[in-house]
Amino acid sequence: MLELHSFHRIWCLAKFELVRMFLTKRGAIAIAAFVTAWFFILYYLISAADDLVSSDIFVTIAHQIISTTGMRELLSWPVPELSVFWVVAVYSFPIFSLVAASDQTCADRSRGTLKFIALRATRAEILFGRFLGQVLILTVLIACTLIATLLMASYRDASLFFVGLIKSLDLFKNILIAVMPFIALMAFFNSFIRSARLAIIVSFLFFGLIPIAIAFIEYKLGLNTYLTYLIPGVQLSDVINQKNLLFSGYFIPLAQVCGYLLVGNIIMKRSSL
Amino acid sequence: MSSLIQVTGLNKFFGDKQALNNVDFKIEKGAPVALVGPNGAGKTTLFSVLCGYIQPSSGSVEIFGALPGSNATFGRLAALPQDAQLDPRFSIAHQLSFYGQLQGFNKKKSKSEVERTLELVGLSDTLNEKPYALSHGMRKRVTIAQALMGTPDIVMLDEATAGLDPLHAREIRQLVASLSSDVTFILSSHDLSELERLCQQVLYLDKGILQRHKTLANDIDYSYFTLRMEKQESGLIDGLKSIKQVVDVVNSQDREYLISVQQNGEKTPIDIQILQVCHQQKWPYRQLINGKTLENQLF
Repeated sequence: MLELHSFHRIWCLAKFELVRMFLTKRGAIAIAAFVTAWFFILYYLISAADDLVSSDIFVTIAHQIISTTGMRELLSWPVPELSVFWVVAVYSFPIFSLVAASDQTCADRSRGTLKFIALRATRAEILFGRFLGQVLILTVLIACTLIATLLMASYRDASLFFVGLIKSLDLFKNILIAVMPFIALMAFFNSFIRSARLAIIVSFLFFGLIPIAIAFIEYKLGLNTYLTYLIPGVQLSDVINQKNLLFSGYFIPLAQVCGYLLVGNIIMKRSSL
Repeated sequence: MSSLIQVTGLNKFFGDKQALNNVDFKIEKGAPVALVGPNGAGKTTLFSVLCGYIQPSSGSVEIFGALPGSNATFGRLAALPQDAQLDPRFSIAHQLSFYGQLQGFNKKKSKSEVERTLELVGLSDTLNEKPYALSHGMRKRVTIAQALMGTPDIVMLDEATAGLDPLHAREIRQLVASLSSDVTFILSSHDLSELERLCQQVLYLDKGILQRHKTLANDIDYSYFTLRMEKQESGLIDGLKSIKQVVDVVNSQDREYLISVQQNGEKTPIDIQILQVCHQQKWPYRQLINGKTLENQLF
């Protein structure tokens, strides 16, 4: 019974996040910005994907981030729209998720709203419920962009629909797993930061300074500390290049999610509301 | 009977400052309990510990035998935190309904609970308003409504009537009085006359130390009367001292006199004699109270 109550409360908290994003004025503005950005990506990049993937410009740009093996694999996909989508989405969604998930608990904490919620749900439920809500929001957004891409490909050539659908499901899973550590990182920052803006600034500092700090430590110690595995997205280049997929595509991001949520939960439990 | 709340050796430090110092008390189911003390005495800190908002530095706190903020307290312990505000982006109905669903109600039951509690605080017509469209007092009453959702056993109200107009403050007092047979209220307020009217037990905190833990119901001290007059009367002290049973009269504050008496079985009860003196001397009085006021007891 205890677990059932707990799941019910986590689900209530997650649903409330969906309403916050899709049915409030501020959420609608964020969605409008997202739709505008993706309109340009779909209109200028993905609609021209068939020509683009064979163009020198695309190959040159893609080579900056993808190895020769990965590039060969990408160019062999039967639906070029999905190739372009993958290159754009695999980096843009994690960055977008940092901004979209920046206010999981901090505004409610500084306003005191969390005090009403904390009388009805444990801190762990609040943390996991809000995290789940943000994952659901990103799930909807990733699914919408993928469906739009698939429809565009099918409009160009209807025979691509089924093969594109199967590839889309694979991409959907990969992108969703890729964004989860970023959302978990923001959940962790939200456990002790009281402003969404500050959480975003801290996350940019994190991505800017932590790799330098790790490189410095490893240089001084003269050994590999594996601390880079703490950084969300560290595995993305391997995922794009289709290397060590089990380790890079699943183990690292899911371990990061567990790690950040666990530490966030410990801090959240001890923090004052 | 097991206690609703049991606090033992509770200490809370904020850096070097000790906000609560070895606080011990028990609260059983029953009449409202007053939490009294000057500013900075530790009242809000104690509220926050009981609600599970902050962790104690040491000592033990049990609510229904469980830790504050744990599963066992959800839906049974409700509170109006002093400085908490609702989310300005959602309507009152939406937010309170969400809280109801967190308490385990389905949508329909949550909606009816929202309507019931808003009606209790006289705000039925604000269901679809957003918090920023309401006045400070109305927002406070909405947050009192959220504390009354469901069937809580304990409701803690921190400065519930502060900032409310007299009419609505009175309505909240009446609401507390009417619900207090089913719910144990813990009220923090600087309005001692309000607490005196509502509460049977008083926890008096000063500098983080629980100075007194009194039960007012069994504590009417018949060796004292408090007399409140229309105006300050120059001959009143001597006039009252002329009554044989009156031991002493102190002008405790403006237009208020604390009368010490000795009950020795006189034919005419002492309170009647006091009123007779006032009547004979044409001293208009406002109120004669058995015993000391809460204010005179505490300070």
